[in-house]
Amino acid sequence: MVNSDGQLYTIEGVAAGMIMLFTAYLVLGMTSVYTPGDSHISDMQLEQLGTDALRMMNTPVNSTASSTLQNIIYNNTASCVYNNGAWSCGFNSTAFNTTFLNYVNNKTGSKIDNYPNGLHYNATVTYYNISSKTTASLPLAYYGTLTGGEHPVRVTEWLIVNKKFPGTNMIENRAVLVEVLLWRD
Amino acid sequence: MAGLNDDAQWIVLMGFVVSFSLFFLAMTLNQSTLVGQTTAESVLDFPKNDIRDVRSVIIQSAVIGDPNNVLHDDVTNISMSRKEAVVYYYNMTGSSDTRISYFIHYNNGVTEYNETWTSS
Repeated sequence: MVNSDGQLYTIEGVAAGMIMLFTAYLVLGMTSVYTPGDSHISDMQLEQLGTDALRMMNTPVNSTASSTLQNIIYNNTASCVYNNGAWSCGFNSTAFNTTFLNYVNNKTGSKIDNYPNGLHYNATVTYYNISSKTTASLPLAYYGTLTGGEHPVRVTEWLIVNKKFPGTNMIENRAVLVEVLLWRD
Repeated sequence: MAGLNDDAQWIVLMGFVVSFSLFFLAMTLNQSTLVGQTTAESVLDFPKNDIRDVRSVIIQSAVIGDPNNVLHDDVTNISMSRKEAVVYYYNMTGSSDTRISYFIHYNNGVTEYNETWTSS
């Protein structure tokens, strides 16, 4: 004669055991996920801001005019010249600095917090040297100095400009890449 | 079933139902972190601006003309050295076509983009 007392307690015990095993399985089997932190999100925003600013600078008022950025790179000088051991291309750094800082710092109502100390940048122009078959960069403009502790993002804009870059003797249409390192202090 | 106290069976049953449904909710939550992670990563990795930018300069060069392939060499070489991306493109306009057609290829190792662009 089997004693049939306490069957419900037994069922409850079995069920509780299963629940505990299932919990342990869920917890141990859970993949530990490194969620993209805040830095990624603010990086993305900064990147979009810089890209938009450069895109605006490279948008001409109509299809026959040159864009602001093309004028800055061209700046009445069709040739890059070599003097004192460095190439000088006569970019209009002042105009770039003014326009770029104005675009990235503008927001509805007023400038961003602690303007103009919020955003800093370092801009270069990268070209392809046809004779040496290498790419090289020329300084364009900067605001603030990179010391190594900053966390910059890189934004770029392609540009076609009628200018003689190092490595060729012809003034012709060249595609160059304007690269800007942008960071927030 | 002698001696079994069968009072409160509904309460016990409901207890089981509630605790198991909690587990299904827990499993759903568990999956959602993974889904969010992969989606966020795909968005971060996708070189939207790079593709737009290189596409626009290629179309510009197609419109203004590039007789000696100077612009072509500039774009492909600078893309390779500064953007870590293989870019190539060529004019595929047929001799009787009234519009310009270009084939554009972009590949940065993660994302590959191909386009046949035709002027309007």
